Amino acid sequence: MIKLIKSIPFHVKSAGKSVIRHLALTISSSSAVMVTLLLMSLFLLIAGNIGAFTKNIEEGLGILAEIDDSVSEQADLDALQQEIEALPHVEAVSFSSKDEQLDRFISNQDKSAQSLYEAYRGEGNPLHAAFDVSVDDGKNLETVQKALEKMEGRIVKADFGGTTTSDLVDGLSTVRIAGGALTLVLSCLAIFLISNTIKTTIYSRSHEIAIMRNVGATNGFIKMPFMIEGMIIGLIGAIIPMLITFFGYRYLYGVTGGKVLSSAMFTLQPIYPFVLQVCGLLLLAGIVVGLVGSFLAVTKYLRWKR
Amino acid sequence: MIVLENVSKEYKNGVHALRNVNLTIEDAEFVYVIGPTGSGKSTLIKLLDGEEIPSSGRVLVDDVDVGKLKHAKVPIYRRNIGVVFQDFRLLPSMTVFENIAFAMECVGESKVNIRKRVREVLELVSLSDKAKAFPSELSGGQQQRATIGRAIANRPKVLIADEPTGNLDPEKSIEIMELLERINEEEHTTILMVTHDSTIVNKLKKRTIALEEGYIVADIMKGGYLQHD
Repeated sequence: MIKLIKSIPFHVKSAGKSVIRHLALTISSSSAVMVTLLLMSLFLLIAGNIGAFTKNIEEGLGILAEIDDSVSEQADLDALQQEIEALPHVEAVSFSSKDEQLDRFISNQDKSAQSLYEAYRGEGNPLHAAFDVSVDDGKNLETVQKALEKMEGRIVKADFGGTTTSDLVDGLSTVRIAGGALTLVLSCLAIFLISNTIKTTIYSRSHEIAIMRNVGATNGFIKMPFMIEGMIIGLIGAIIPMLITFFGYRYLYGVTGGKVLSSAMFTLQPIYPFVLQVCGLLLLAGIVVGLVGSFLAVTKYLRWKR
Repeated sequence: MIVLENVSKEYKNGVHALRNVNLTIEDAEFVYVIGPTGSGKSTLIKLLDGEEIPSSGRVLVDDVDVGKLKHAKVPIYRRNIGVVFQDFRLLPSMTVFENIAFAMECVGESKVNIRKRVREVLELVSLSDKAKAFPSELSGGQQQRATIGRAIANRPKVLIADEPTGNLDPEKSIEIMELLERINEEEHTTILMVTHDSTIVNKLKKRTIALEEGYIVADIMKGGYLQHD
């Protein structure tokens, strides 16, 4: 073990030398790493933002539970609110009075009709006071709604937009899963491409590996510099995609003002820490894949000759 | 001590390279192995080097059963034997100095020792002025000498040389032979030298083993190249 640690500077040095002496191979395999990481970066950015979009939409969804007019005492209202808050999957409950409900209703009407509805303010207000119930996950909207409707006599009506909303929630989770799966598949593809490039790079040096064994180098001793070299190649290949991701995303964010289709629903992920996370992931992917790819390749060619 | 007991080697393509070979080489001996191409000389070297496994029989070098070594243990075994390859097998991306130093780095020698010993070895094979040259920049003879240098750097107990004078002019050949003899005498290294060079075999007489079609056809202690009719 001590011997291994002592030999690390030597291995790093010889890996560095090898990177420079096999410059053409280094450049070709790092550019392969670069291209695949660029693709990966693109998908990571898209998947990350789709995740955020769908989350935004889902968070906007809630249930409006209209309260029976018989429940008007503050104590009763508080008790009801606590009861709803205690329901499973309920995240937050906020009270909206009759007046506030009318405000909401009016603001949704035509300008000309607005003054007309103002007449209902006060005693003659036909609307019910309501609770805005937000749910932990879009999938649970229906469960919560059913539970609310069971509170007969106190809750008149619980509504969340019905099946269309359910469909929307289902659709969003499909989009999110598909995005994640696509990113995963592409990442696997990237890893495969990179490790294959490194394998061909090392193949051209399988002769060298055999010679090293001929002069008494153990398998571990041979593998070390190749693995470090793979890491260096991965690192070099990750630099440009990282820079492009960082500045590209910053530019995009600046141009769009952080919003796609200038809609509050489709807000882009803020630059920090999102873009740094993606960059970190790219760096990690480059290094790990370089390491694993070269490890597999050397191990394979070590077996080439006895 | 090198012992071959009833060693046969048949390759997958059906070629019988060695047939029932029995051979004992004592420590500090200097032995020539001669024979026409295809007689099994290279196979003999590969068996001793651990690159090939005998089809039957045993190859023992200092009581190590070479054919039974695990893949990972082969390089460690090789540290005790130096091999001068006919095709040199120098690492193309390393200078002559680094090539020789590499064999010592594998063993875990200290930097100071490596530097000292490599200079010494380069002096021995008269390549001091080519220390920083890459193998591709050397002539065949120079590469051959670099290979010899690498083989002897770790002071192996056994030195196997496959045509070490094959690419050298007579003058350089004599130099290399003197070097090998010196290593044999001073370091008591067992030397097994495969050669075609009848002049050397006839001039510097040593035990000579003649192979033909996989059989040992002669094992002459007094030396001298076989006279064929």
